Amino acid sequence: MTWPIAELDVVRRLHVLAAAVPGAVVGEVLLPAPFDQVWAVAADLEGELPRYLSDVRSMRITRADGEHLEADARGYAGLRAHFDIVLRPGWCVMRSRFLLGAMAAVADGDQTRFAFLAGAQLPGQRLLGPALGVVGRWATPRVAARFGERVALRG
Amino acid sequence: MSDEAELPALVRAAQRGDGLAMARLIDGLTPAIGRWCGPIALQDAPDAAQEALIAVFRGLKGLSEPAALFGWARSIAVREAVRVARRSARQRTVELLDLPAPGDPLLAVDIADVLERLSPEHRAVLMLRELEGLDERSIAGLLDVPPGTVKSRLSRARRSFRKEWAR
Repeated sequence: MTWPIAELDVVRRLHVLAAAVPGAVVGEVLLPAPFDQVWAVAADLEGELPRYLSDVRSMRITRADGEHLEADARGYAGLRAHFDIVLRPGWCVMRSRFLLGAMAAVADGDQTRFAFLAGAQLPGQRLLGPALGVVGRWATPRVAARFGERVALRG
Repeated sequence: MSDEAELPALVRAAQRGDGLAMARLIDGLTPAIGRWCGPIALQDAPDAAQEALIAVFRGLKGLSEPAALFGWARSIAVREAVRVARRSARQRTVELLDLPAPGDPLLAVDIADVLERLSPEHRAVLMLRELEGLDERSIAGLLDVPPGTVKSRLSRARRSFRKEWAR
Protein backbone atom coordinates (compact mmCIF):
# COMPACT_ATOMS: atom_id res chain seq x y z
CA MET A 1 0.00 0.00 0.00
CA THR A 2 1.47 3.32 -0.97
CA TRP A 3 -0.20 6.05 1.00
CA PRO A 4 0.97 9.54 0.14
CA ILE A 5 3.11 11.07 2.88
CA ALA A 6 3.61 14.81 3.28
CA GLU A 7 7.24 15.83 3.37
CA LEU A 8 8.03 18.85 5.51
CA ASP A 9 11.50 20.10 4.69
CA VAL A 10 13.64 21.79 7.30
CA VAL A 11 13.00 25.30 5.99
CA ARG A 12 9.29 24.74 6.48
CA ARG A 13 10.04 23.35 9.95
CA LEU A 14 11.95 26.50 10.75
CA HIS A 15 8.93 28.59 9.79
CA VAL A 16 6.85 26.43 12.16
CA LEU A 17 9.36 27.15 14.92
CA ALA A 18 9.17 30.87 14.10
CA ALA A 19 5.39 30.77 14.42
CA ALA A 20 5.67 28.98 17.74
CA VAL A 21 8.14 31.38 19.38
CA PRO A 22 6.51 34.71 20.23
CA GLY A 23 8.39 37.64 18.72
CA ALA A 24 10.70 35.47 16.62
CA VAL A 25 12.18 37.03 13.51
CA VAL A 26 12.74 34.84 10.48
CA GLY A 27 14.41 35.43 7.13
CA GLU A 28 14.85 33.30 4.02
CA VAL A 29 17.19 33.70 1.06
CA LEU A 30 18.04 31.72 -2.04
CA LEU A 31 21.80 31.37 -2.20
CA PRO A 32 23.53 30.68 -5.53
CA ALA A 33 25.59 27.82 -4.13
CA PRO A 34 25.11 24.08 -3.61
CA PHE A 35 23.86 22.81 -0.27
CA ASP A 36 27.21 21.37 0.86
CA GLN A 37 28.93 24.70 0.33
CA VAL A 38 26.25 26.58 2.25
CA TRP A 39 26.11 24.13 5.11
CA ALA A 40 29.88 24.08 5.45
CA VAL A 41 29.58 27.71 6.54
CA ALA A 42 26.47 27.23 8.71
CA ALA A 43 27.86 24.22 10.55
CA ASP A 44 31.18 25.89 11.32
CA LEU A 45 29.88 27.65 14.40
CA GLU A 46 33.30 28.40 15.89
CA GLY A 47 34.97 29.63 12.72
CA GLU A 48 32.19 31.24 10.72
CA LEU A 49 29.43 32.43 13.07
CA PRO A 50 31.48 35.33 14.47
CA ARG A 51 32.28 36.39 10.91
CA TYR A 52 28.69 36.92 9.80
CA LEU A 53 27.17 37.74 13.18
CA SER A 54 29.02 40.88 14.15
CA ASP A 55 27.77 40.97 17.76
CA VAL A 56 29.55 37.71 18.48
CA ARG A 57 33.28 37.92 19.14
CA SER A 58 33.84 34.21 19.65
CA MET A 59 31.99 30.92 19.79
CA ARG A 60 33.65 27.94 21.44
CA ILE A 61 32.23 24.42 21.40
CA THR A 62 32.65 22.99 24.90
CA ARG A 63 30.90 19.65 24.47
CA ALA A 64 29.81 17.46 21.57
CA ASP A 65 27.67 14.35 21.79
CA GLY A 66 26.38 13.35 18.39
CA GLU A 67 24.13 16.12 17.14
CA HIS A 68 23.95 17.69 20.61
CA LEU A 69 26.51 20.40 21.28
CA GLU A 70 27.19 22.98 23.95
CA ALA A 71 29.01 26.21 23.30
CA ASP A 72 30.09 29.40 25.02
CA ALA A 73 29.62 32.63 23.11
CA ARG A 74 31.22 35.96 23.88
CA GLY A 75 30.08 39.28 22.51
CA TYR A 76 31.82 42.61 22.09
CA ALA A 77 29.56 44.31 24.61
CA GLY A 78 30.55 41.91 27.38
CA LEU A 79 27.77 39.50 26.53
CA ARG A 80 28.45 35.92 27.54
CA ALA A 81 26.08 33.10 26.87
CA HIS A 82 26.07 29.34 27.13
CA PHE A 83 24.23 27.61 24.29
CA ASP A 84 22.65 24.19 24.01
CA ILE A 85 22.71 23.26 20.35
CA VAL A 86 21.24 20.66 18.01
CA LEU A 87 23.29 20.52 14.81
CA ARG A 88 22.81 18.16 11.90
CA PRO A 89 22.99 18.58 8.11
CA GLY A 90 20.52 21.27 7.12
CA TRP A 91 19.32 22.03 10.65
CA CYS A 92 20.75 23.94 13.60
CA VAL A 93 18.95 25.22 16.70
CA MET A 94 20.82 27.14 19.41
CA ARG A 95 19.28 28.08 22.73
CA SER A 96 20.77 30.05 25.58
CA ARG A 97 19.02 31.29 28.68
CA PHE A 98 17.86 34.37 26.83
CA LEU A 99 18.22 33.71 23.12
CA LEU A 100 17.09 31.29 20.46
CA GLY A 101 18.76 31.04 17.06
CA ALA A 102 18.15 28.57 14.26
CA MET A 103 19.27 27.90 10.70
CA ALA A 104 17.90 25.57 8.05
CA ALA A 105 18.96 24.82 4.50
CA VAL A 106 17.59 22.69 1.65
CA ALA A 107 18.88 22.16 -1.86
CA ASP A 108 16.82 23.90 -4.54
CA GLY A 109 18.23 22.70 -7.86
CA ASP A 110 21.87 23.76 -7.84
CA GLN A 111 21.04 26.55 -5.39
CA THR A 112 20.15 26.46 -1.70
CA ARG A 113 17.25 27.87 0.24
CA PHE A 114 18.60 29.11 3.55
CA ALA A 115 16.42 30.31 6.42
CA PHE A 116 17.43 31.77 9.75
CA LEU A 117 15.55 32.61 12.91
CA ALA A 118 16.15 34.71 15.99
CA GLY A 119 13.98 34.90 19.06
CA ALA A 120 14.05 35.57 22.76
CA GLN A 121 13.81 32.95 25.49
CA LEU A 122 12.41 35.04 28.28
CA PRO A 123 9.25 35.31 30.29
CA GLY A 124 7.26 38.08 28.64
CA GLN A 125 9.36 37.63 25.53
CA ARG A 126 6.62 38.95 23.29
CA LEU A 127 7.17 42.37 24.87
CA LEU A 128 10.87 42.16 25.43
CA GLY A 129 11.78 40.56 22.12
CA PRO A 130 11.84 43.72 20.02
CA ALA A 131 13.94 45.47 22.65
CA LEU A 132 16.67 42.87 22.41
CA GLY A 133 18.46 44.31 19.44
CA VAL A 134 21.00 41.54 19.25
CA VAL A 135 18.20 39.07 18.65
CA GLY A 136 16.63 40.99 15.82
CA ARG A 137 19.96 41.53 14.15
CA TRP A 138 20.40 37.79 13.77
CA ALA A 139 17.78 37.72 11.09
CA THR A 140 18.36 40.86 9.06
CA PRO A 141 19.19 41.06 5.35
CA ARG A 142 22.61 42.42 6.32
CA VAL A 143 23.47 39.25 8.23
CA ALA A 144 22.11 37.18 5.36
CA ALA A 145 24.32 39.13 2.95
CA ARG A 146 27.40 38.55 5.12
CA PHE A 147 26.52 34.88 5.38
CA GLY A 148 26.21 34.74 1.58
CA GLU A 149 29.64 36.33 1.24
CA ARG A 150 31.15 33.67 3.50
CA VAL A 151 29.50 30.98 1.39
CA ALA A 152 30.86 32.52 -1.82
CA LEU A 153 34.39 32.47 -0.40
CA ARG A 154 34.17 28.70 -0.11
CA GLY A 155 33.20 28.32 -3.77
CA MET B 1 11.82 12.46 20.70
CA SER B 2 13.99 9.46 21.27
CA ASP B 3 12.10 8.24 24.32
CA GLU B 4 8.34 8.21 24.79
CA ALA B 5 8.88 8.60 28.51
CA GLU B 6 10.39 12.02 28.03
CA LEU B 7 7.41 13.30 26.04
CA PRO B 8 5.56 14.90 28.98
CA ALA B 9 8.64 16.83 30.09
CA LEU B 10 9.28 17.92 26.53
CA VAL B 11 5.71 19.14 26.11
CA ARG B 12 5.88 21.02 29.41
CA ALA B 13 9.14 22.68 28.39
CA ALA B 14 7.67 23.67 25.03
CA GLN B 15 4.59 25.04 26.80
CA ARG B 16 6.94 27.24 28.85
CA GLY B 17 8.40 28.61 25.61
CA ASP B 18 11.63 26.58 25.44
CA GLY B 19 12.61 26.84 21.77
CA LEU B 20 14.88 23.80 21.83
CA ALA B 21 12.04 21.68 23.22
CA MET B 22 9.76 23.06 20.51
CA ALA B 23 12.30 22.06 17.88
CA ARG B 24 12.48 18.54 19.28
CA LEU B 25 8.70 18.31 19.30
CA ILE B 26 8.65 19.43 15.66
CA ASP B 27 11.11 16.62 14.89
CA GLY B 28 8.96 14.11 16.75
CA LEU B 29 5.61 15.19 15.32
CA THR B 30 6.59 15.75 11.70
CA PRO B 31 6.52 12.10 10.51
CA ALA B 32 3.06 11.55 11.98
CA ILE B 33 1.74 14.88 10.70
CA GLY B 34 3.04 13.95 7.24
CA ARG B 35 1.33 10.58 7.44
CA TRP B 36 -2.00 12.17 8.44
CA CYS B 37 -1.91 15.10 5.99
CA GLY B 38 -0.53 13.26 2.94
CA PRO B 39 -3.62 11.20 2.04
CA ILE B 40 -6.00 14.09 2.69
CA ALA B 41 -4.25 17.10 1.20
CA LEU B 42 -2.38 15.28 -1.62
CA GLN B 43 -0.56 17.93 -3.71
CA ASP B 44 -1.08 20.46 -0.94
CA ALA B 45 0.17 18.15 1.75
CA PRO B 46 3.36 20.11 2.58
CA ASP B 47 1.28 23.27 3.09
CA ALA B 48 -1.23 21.32 5.15
CA ALA B 49 1.48 19.72 7.28
CA GLN B 50 3.11 23.09 7.91
CA GLU B 51 -0.18 24.74 8.84
CA ALA B 52 -1.14 21.78 11.01
CA LEU B 53 2.11 21.99 12.96
CA ILE B 54 1.68 25.74 13.40
CA ALA B 55 -1.85 25.15 14.70
CA VAL B 56 -0.52 22.49 17.08
CA PHE B 57 2.05 24.86 18.56
CA ARG B 58 -0.37 27.78 18.76
CA GLY B 59 -2.69 25.59 20.80
CA LEU B 60 -0.04 23.77 22.80
CA LYS B 61 -0.47 25.81 25.96
CA GLY B 62 -4.05 24.60 26.16
CA LEU B 63 -3.05 20.93 26.15
CA SER B 64 -3.52 19.86 29.76
CA GLU B 65 -2.43 16.24 29.34
CA PRO B 66 0.95 16.00 27.55
CA ALA B 67 0.58 12.24 27.03
CA ALA B 68 -2.40 13.00 24.79
CA LEU B 69 -0.22 15.02 22.42
CA PHE B 70 -0.40 12.70 19.42
CA GLY B 71 -4.15 12.07 19.55
CA TRP B 72 -4.77 15.78 19.98
CA ALA B 73 -2.36 16.65 17.16
CA ARG B 74 -4.04 14.11 14.89
CA SER B 75 -7.41 15.79 15.19
CA ILE B 76 -5.80 19.16 14.42
CA ALA B 77 -3.88 17.72 11.45
CA VAL B 78 -6.98 16.14 9.93
CA ARG B 79 -8.94 19.37 10.31
CA GLU B 80 -6.16 21.46 8.81
CA ALA B 81 -5.58 19.02 5.95
CA VAL B 82 -9.26 19.06 5.01
CA ARG B 83 -9.31 22.86 5.22
CA VAL B 84 -6.21 23.30 3.07
CA ALA B 85 -7.40 20.75 0.52
CA ARG B 86 -10.77 22.44 0.21
CA ARG B 87 -9.18 25.85 -0.12
CA SER B 88 -6.83 24.79 -2.83
CA ALA B 89 -7.67 25.77 -6.34
CA ARG B 90 -5.93 22.63 -7.44
CA GLN B 91 -8.51 20.50 -5.75
CA ARG B 92 -9.80 18.11 -8.37
CA THR B 93 -12.62 16.34 -6.67
CA VAL B 94 -14.79 14.83 -9.36
CA GLU B 95 -17.40 13.05 -7.38
CA LEU B 96 -17.81 11.09 -4.24
CA LEU B 97 -16.31 7.68 -4.65
CA ASP B 98 -17.04 5.18 -2.01
CA LEU B 99 -14.65 3.45 0.26
CA PRO B 100 -13.45 -0.12 0.58
CA ALA B 101 -13.88 -2.23 3.66
CA PRO B 102 -11.01 -2.22 6.17
CA GLY B 103 -8.28 -4.57 5.01
CA ASP B 104 -9.83 -4.85 1.56
CA PRO B 105 -7.21 -6.29 -0.83
CA LEU B 106 -8.20 -3.64 -3.30
CA LEU B 107 -6.32 -1.23 -1.11
CA ALA B 108 -3.10 -3.14 -1.62
CA VAL B 109 -2.37 -1.03 -4.65
CA ASP B 110 -1.22 2.49 -5.21
CA ILE B 111 -4.26 4.38 -3.98
CA ALA B 112 -3.15 7.81 -5.08
CA ASP B 113 -5.40 7.75 -8.15
CA VAL B 114 -8.39 6.75 -6.09
CA LEU B 115 -7.69 9.39 -3.47
CA GLU B 116 -7.62 12.05 -6.17
CA ARG B 117 -11.27 11.36 -6.86
CA LEU B 118 -12.41 11.62 -3.27
CA SER B 119 -13.44 14.74 -1.45
CA PRO B 120 -11.07 15.83 1.35
CA GLU B 121 -13.63 14.76 3.95
CA HIS B 122 -13.79 11.26 2.51
CA ARG B 123 -10.04 11.04 2.23
CA ALA B 124 -9.98 11.89 5.93
CA VAL B 125 -12.41 9.05 6.70
CA LEU B 126 -10.38 6.62 4.62
CA MET B 127 -7.09 7.61 6.24
CA LEU B 128 -8.48 7.47 9.76
CA ARG B 129 -9.93 4.05 9.23
CA GLU B 130 -7.31 2.29 7.10
CA LEU B 131 -4.17 3.99 8.26
CA GLU B 132 -5.04 4.81 11.85
CA GLY B 133 -7.41 1.91 12.48
CA LEU B 134 -10.11 4.02 14.13
CA ASP B 135 -13.64 2.68 14.38
CA GLU B 136 -16.61 4.55 12.97
CA ARG B 137 -17.59 6.07 16.29
CA SER B 138 -14.10 7.46 16.85
CA ILE B 139 -13.98 8.83 13.32
CA ALA B 140 -17.34 10.50 13.82
CA GLY B 141 -16.11 12.08 17.03
CA LEU B 142 -12.92 13.31 15.47
CA LEU B 143 -14.66 14.77 12.42
CA ASP B 144 -17.59 16.05 14.48
CA VAL B 145 -20.29 14.30 12.45
CA PRO B 146 -22.94 11.85 13.69
CA PRO B 147 -21.79 8.18 13.80
CA GLY B 148 -24.72 7.26 11.56
CA THR B 149 -23.42 9.58 8.86
CA VAL B 150 -20.02 7.90 8.87
CA LYS B 151 -21.62 4.46 8.86
CA SER B 152 -23.97 5.15 5.95
CA ARG B 153 -21.24 6.81 3.93
CA LEU B 154 -18.94 3.86 4.41
CA SER B 155 -21.64 1.38 3.56
CA ARG B 156 -22.58 3.14 0.36
CA ALA B 157 -18.94 3.75 -0.39
CA ARG B 158 -17.91 0.12 -0.52
CA ARG B 159 -20.23 -0.64 -3.40
CA SER B 160 -19.11 2.26 -5.55
CA PHE B 161 -15.45 1.71 -4.80
CA ARG B 162 -15.62 -1.87 -5.93
CA LYS B 163 -17.51 -0.81 -9.05
CA GLU B 164 -14.79 1.67 -9.88
CA TRP B 165 -12.03 -0.90 -9.61
CA ALA B 166 -14.01 -3.46 -11.59
CA ARG B 167 -14.17 -1.22 -14.67
